Amino acid sequence: MADLLDRLELSRLSHRFGFGPKPGEFAQLLNLGIDTARKKILTAPISDAAAESVTPPVLTDLGFFPTQKTQAAADFNLARQLQINALYTWWLDRMALADQALIERMTWFWHGHWATSYDKVQYALPMKIQNDTLRQYALSDFWQMSRAMVQDPALLYWLDAGQNSKKSPNENLARELMELFTLGVGNYTETDVREIARGLTGWQVYRSGATTQFNSLAHDSTPITFLGHTGSYDAQGISDVLVGEDACEQFIPARMWFRFLSTTNPMPSDLPTAFANRDINALVKALGRHGQMRVVGNSQVKSPVEWFIAVCRALSITPSKLQNVGYAISTLTNMGQLPFNPPNVGGWPADEAWLSASSAQFRLSFAQYLVKQGDLSYLAKDTTDQGIANWLGISEFSFRTKSAFAAAGNDPARLAVLAICSPEYVVNA
Amino acid sequence: MDTVTRRKFLQLTGAGAIAGIAASLSIEEIAQAALSNPLPFGTPIVVVVTLYGGNDGLNTVVPYQDSIYQASRPGISLDASKVIPLQDGLALNGSMTGFKSLWDQKKLAIVRGVGYPQPDHSHFSSMAIWQSASPQEHISSGWIGRWLDSQPHDPMRAIGLGSVLPPLLAGSKQVGSVLPLGGLVIPSGTLAQECSQLSKPSGADTPLVALAAQSMADLFKLSGDVGPVLKKSAPVPDVLPTQAGGNFGGDSSLSQQLDVVAKLIAVNAPTRVWAVSLGGFDTHADEIQGQTTLLGTVSNSITRFLSQMEKVGRSRDVTVLVYSEFGRRVKANASMGTDHGTAGPVFIAGGRTQGGFYGDQPSLKTLNNGDLMVTTDFRDVYGAILEDLLNTDKSRVIDGWKSKLPVFAKA
Repeated sequence: MADLLDRLELSRLSHRFGFGPKPGEFAQLLNLGIDTARKKILTAPISDAAAESVTPPVLTDLGFFPTQKTQAAADFNLARQLQINALYTWWLDRMALADQALIERMTWFWHGHWATSYDKVQYALPMKIQNDTLRQYALSDFWQMSRAMVQDPALLYWLDAGQNSKKSPNENLARELMELFTLGVGNYTETDVREIARGLTGWQVYRSGATTQFNSLAHDSTPITFLGHTGSYDAQGISDVLVGEDACEQFIPARMWFRFLSTTNPMPSDLPTAFANRDINALVKALGRHGQMRVVGNSQVKSPVEWFIAVCRALSITPSKLQNVGYAISTLTNMGQLPFNPPNVGGWPADEAWLSASSAQFRLSFAQYLVKQGDLSYLAKDTTDQGIANWLGISEFSFRTKSAFAAAGNDPARLAVLAICSPEYVVNA
Repeated sequence: MDTVTRRKFLQLTGAGAIAGIAASLSIEEIAQAALSNPLPFGTPIVVVVTLYGGNDGLNTVVPYQDSIYQASRPGISLDASKVIPLQDGLALNGSMTGFKSLWDQKKLAIVRGVGYPQPDHSHFSSMAIWQSASPQEHISSGWIGRWLDSQPHDPMRAIGLGSVLPPLLAGSKQVGSVLPLGGLVIPSGTLAQECSQLSKPSGADTPLVALAAQSMADLFKLSGDVGPVLKKSAPVPDVLPTQAGGNFGGDSSLSQQLDVVAKLIAVNAPTRVWAVSLGGFDTHADEIQGQTTLLGTVSNSITRFLSQMEKVGRSRDVTVLVYSEFGRRVKANASMGTDHGTAGPVFIAGGRTQGGFYGDQPSLKTLNNGDLMVTTDFRDVYGAILEDLLNTDKSRVIDGWKSKLPVFAKA
């Protein structure tokens, strides 16, 4: 019988370093013992047959926007809509089906970090290419990830870097690169922003085809001075300087701490050393093995996508096979979180922001819709409080929630709706 | 488009799906609860309009006769033909005809050069400063949230429109509510009873778990009170504001939000502060068309909203505050846009507002590293709202702050 702190730690590992257990998985992990279970969750598999079984969407270069209010424009907009919807369901399916969801979870983290929105990019192809890049480096080397991202077509378009010339540079990418992606606010000056903006000039983005081109005539090759360095830098050279800064060694671990452990408690000072080589995998392992994983109080609210995917996994639902995928996508939109559509370059909010009466309402209707289409056979075998907690990977239910279960009797569908809307499930203790 | 793809399109986009789901929950079953606690007439109501992205103040309240302005912004400066002159060489963006009519009625205050010491050029830091009203120290509670902390708990007291709580409504003990545009629907029958059980507090709850339970409780209270009201149509103003500035689409998200606010004010909802917002002001590229459209939306929807308030007898009660996290750089960039700047104008409109200019117009000659100097501290604006409208000691909500703008008439 695993003790309560083991259950707490395993619940956190399962929901934060994955998207929650599939039916039976939590009990199996408990049986393995916490040390083996921890190692299993924090080790990315060489390949994941279930995730790879999801067919990637066929995305094509749709070309420029046609003249408005023509038949060509209508066809074009329909094609755009079909492509982005295919992209939404492809990623949601991967998250929901992955046998070992660490890689998808980390890709999700990085999507919120290098937050780029389809709302402005307007083509699915560059969003998919960025997603592939984030997955490729999700658990590898931050030097390489940052180098790839400073020439990512979607990111460059999103931050206006594709219209950046030496005559009068655009500062958008320069600022966010330091503030949000590598160093954190307060670790650079306004002069650094203006200097780096000059160094980042010269890129042109062909948006629909997701390609970039460097135009040396538009690039400012005169020396720039930033963060104590002077010289002639291109985008990758700038990226290398930023990633090498001490502030980066603090900032990335702090962002990960914020998203995986706590938005209120401060990051322990020993965490950044795990990122000394800018090795993301080492940092993730250090975080997942940290003693803070067993400290009561490091609660985190599941964001709408995290909640939806965890429910799909528990109910063996493949998002693209829902009776009405559009309803799922519009509900996620109403709840304030649709993948590929962060509200701004800072990514989505956290914790309290998801706990409004409005989210409670959408969650409740969504829960009923999903339970009707889900597989409840595993839950039906054991509808005790403990059985429900093990099915969903929850450390323990409160007296309040147990009383609600008692009133619902043995009906698995009613128990399932209550359990996935319970405060203990919405918030990962 | 062939029928197969059209059907697939409708499935994927969810058109036609929502009604089916809502019907299964039956809004008819929601109790037709009358509001038990109507707001007495004469009680001030504040509507905070946040413009996300950093609105370019110089193309909003335009120093169109200033040669430095014209020279700094080739291609994106506005000349006399594209603005609505006010006075002192300043003019409104040509799309803001509604605001011009409020100005003429002396119901619009324009506070110039608003900001805070040592301006921050980050959207997030600067918006956090505006919403927390704390430029020096980083604090996570919002200025309206701290006002809520001083009041008895009532989920109706401060409401944001949308699905995510704006930081200004988060206090350290209480938070405001959010209301989605479509209103709230609660389950009926046994599920409702079981869910209300889930909303009860439990001794072992961590703060976040307790908040999750509270959000469910608020859903029951809000939907009981608000649901029936949202089914009514919005109040129709006697005189519709003119659309002479062009048709900017009455269908924008801001006007929808304000319509919901208008409906709830019309039935005397006990809400003192409403928070609505409009995004898209981060005009690093191709600024002219985008910003003009957005400002037209702001001006038209607020003017229309104030006409609605007149119709329901709340014109003297309601005050609208419009702000953004910063203004933009004086010089244009290479993309026909402007980069992040500092000071910008704040608008205050409504029956208690003493119209006119407040604060000095920042000089275009004396810049700080290419940016406008701040002439008015934003806490003076909040100070007036807290003290003159919310009847609260400003120094308690904004750490020790003592001054305020004389923008409101004595009650």
